Amino acid sequence: MVMGKLQAVPGELQAAGTMDTKAEAISLLVDGELEHERFEHACSSLREPECVRTWVCYHVIGDALRGSPTMPAGFAARFSDRLGAEPTVLAPTRARPAPTAVAWAAAATIAAVSVVGWVALTTMPGSDVGPSIAAAKQAATIRAADARPRVDNEYLLVHQEYSPTTAIQGVRPYLRAVAAGEPDARP
Amino acid sequence: MLVRSIPKRGKLSGLVRASRGAGLVVATLLVVPVALGQDAAAWLQRAAGAARSLNYVGTIVYQHGSRVETSRLVHLFDASGEFEKLTNLDGPAREVVRNNDQVRCYYPDAKIVRIEPRSFRNAFPSLLPQQLSALATYYFFRKAEIARIAGLETQAFVFEPKDGLRYGHKFWADLTTGLLLKARLLNEKNEAVEQFAFTDIQIGARLDREMLRPPFVFTPPDWQVRESPPGEVTPQETGWVVRDLPPGFAKVVEGFRVLRGKPAPVAHLVFSDGLVAVSVFVEPTPSSPQPVGLSQQGGINVYSRQLDDHLVTVLGEAPGATVRQIAYSVGHR
Repeated sequence: MVMGKLQAVPGELQAAGTMDTKAEAISLLVDGELEHERFEHACSSLREPECVRTWVCYHVIGDALRGSPTMPAGFAARFSDRLGAEPTVLAPTRARPAPTAVAWAAAATIAAVSVVGWVALTTMPGSDVGPSIAAAKQAATIRAADARPRVDNEYLLVHQEYSPTTAIQGVRPYLRAVAAGEPDARP
Repeated sequence: MLVRSIPKRGKLSGLVRASRGAGLVVATLLVVPVALGQDAAAWLQRAAGAARSLNYVGTIVYQHGSRVETSRLVHLFDASGEFEKLTNLDGPAREVVRNNDQVRCYYPDAKIVRIEPRSFRNAFPSLLPQQLSALATYYFFRKAEIARIAGLETQAFVFEPKDGLRYGHKFWADLTTGLLLKARLLNEKNEAVEQFAFTDIQIGARLDREMLRPPFVFTPPDWQVRESPPGEVTPQETGWVVRDLPPGFAKVVEGFRVLRGKPAPVAHLVFSDGLVAVSVFVEPTPSSPQPVGLSQQGGINVYSRQLDDHLVTVLGEAPGATVRQIAYSVGHR
C-alpha cells in the first residue's frame, strides 16, 4: 500500500505507531492473522479515516485476488458516500468502543455494499491522496483482467536465477513465466 | 536406454567449485556437523547434479491452483555444456530454450522473444553452513514412500516446515539417478500450492541437437526482441536492509541490477533458507502507477509496497505472510 504518502496524526504517532505498522496490523486483521495482543489496538486505529481507507483497500485487494467480478459502475462513488455517512467508524468516540464492535461495524459497512469487486489500487505519483477512495474511484473503470496486480516478469526471471528451486528442478520453474493459462505470465 | 550411473562425488564437488558466482561461500558437505541437514542436503545436491548432468526428455505436467499445463522438456548435457528446451503443449506454443547461460523465451502469441542472460551457477545449492543448519532447524526432513512415477521407481522425501513462515516440500527422486520426477509445494493446510510432475520420461536417452532447436534462428521482422542487459550482480551494500527477517533465512547476495524496462538500477537482495529463496527488489517509484499488495503466481508470492519514494517488491517460494513480513521490514540501513 502507499503508506508512505499517508500522514499519521502527529500526536498519535508515538501512541498508535507509524502508519506503516498500523497498516501492517490492519492487513493482518483483514486476513485474520493478527495476534490477540494487537487486536484491540488495530481495531481502535480504525477510528482514523486513513486506517478505514486502508481497511477497505485491503479488502478490495483480497477480493480481487480471490477473483471477484468487475465492479459495477459508480460503485466507488456510492461506497465513498456511504463511508462518509458512517458514524460508527468515523465519529470521535467518547468512550473507548469495544474493539470487536468497531471491527464488525467496518465489516458490516463492507458487507452492506456486498458486491465488492475489483478496484485497481495504484500508487499515485505526484499526489498525496494515498490509497484513497478517490484513487479507487478513478481506477474503478479499469477492466479487472488489466488491473489485477501482476507479477513483474522481469523480477520473477531474475529471482529464479538465485533460487535453489531452479537448481534442483532445472529450467522447470520457467514454466511459471511462460504458462499459457497464467494471465500474469506476460512477456 | 537408461543411464545407470549416478554423477560421481568428484563431479559434484567440481560443480560446487564451479558455483563461484556472487561471492557465495561454498561449504562442502563434509565439514557440516548437522547429520539431518547433511542427509537432506545430500538429496538436494544429488537432485541438482542429476538435473544438470543427465540427458532426458519427457512430458511435464505443471499444476497451480486449478490450472494444469502440459509441457515437453528436453535436456542435453555434453562437452559443450547444458542445453534445454521447454515447449508448452497447451495453448500458445510458448517455448523456453536455454543454451548454457542464455535463456530465450518465445511467445508466438505476442510475437515476442525475450533474451535472458542467466547465470545458473548462482542457483546451485552450494549451501552456506547456516543454511544447512537452517534446513534441520526449520524443517522436519524425512524419507517417505517408494512410489512409481512416470514408470520409474522413486524415493519420496519430505521437508515439513516447523513454522508457518515457509511452505512444505515433497520431492520424488528417481532411485537410480536422483533426478526429481515430481515436486510439490504444500501450504499449511497440506494442500498443493504448485506441482511439477513428469508423466513420461526417458533418462539417458540419445538426444538429437535438432530436438533443442529454437523455433527460428533469425528473428522474423514482425517479432519483437526484448533483450535483458547482462546481469551479474556486483556484490555491494545497497543501503537497504531487512530488519525482521524470518528465522533461518540468510543473505545470499546483495547488489544493484540493471533490468530491462527499469530506468535506474534496482537494489536486489536475496535471502535463502537453503531450500527456497526470497528476493527483495527496491527501485525508485516508477513514473507509471504500479499495483501494490499481494499477488501470486504458482508457488511464488509477491508483495509490493510503497516506501517513501521507493517501490519495494518482495517475492519468493514462500507464503504470502512471509513475503509481506519481509516487505514491511525493509528499511534504510
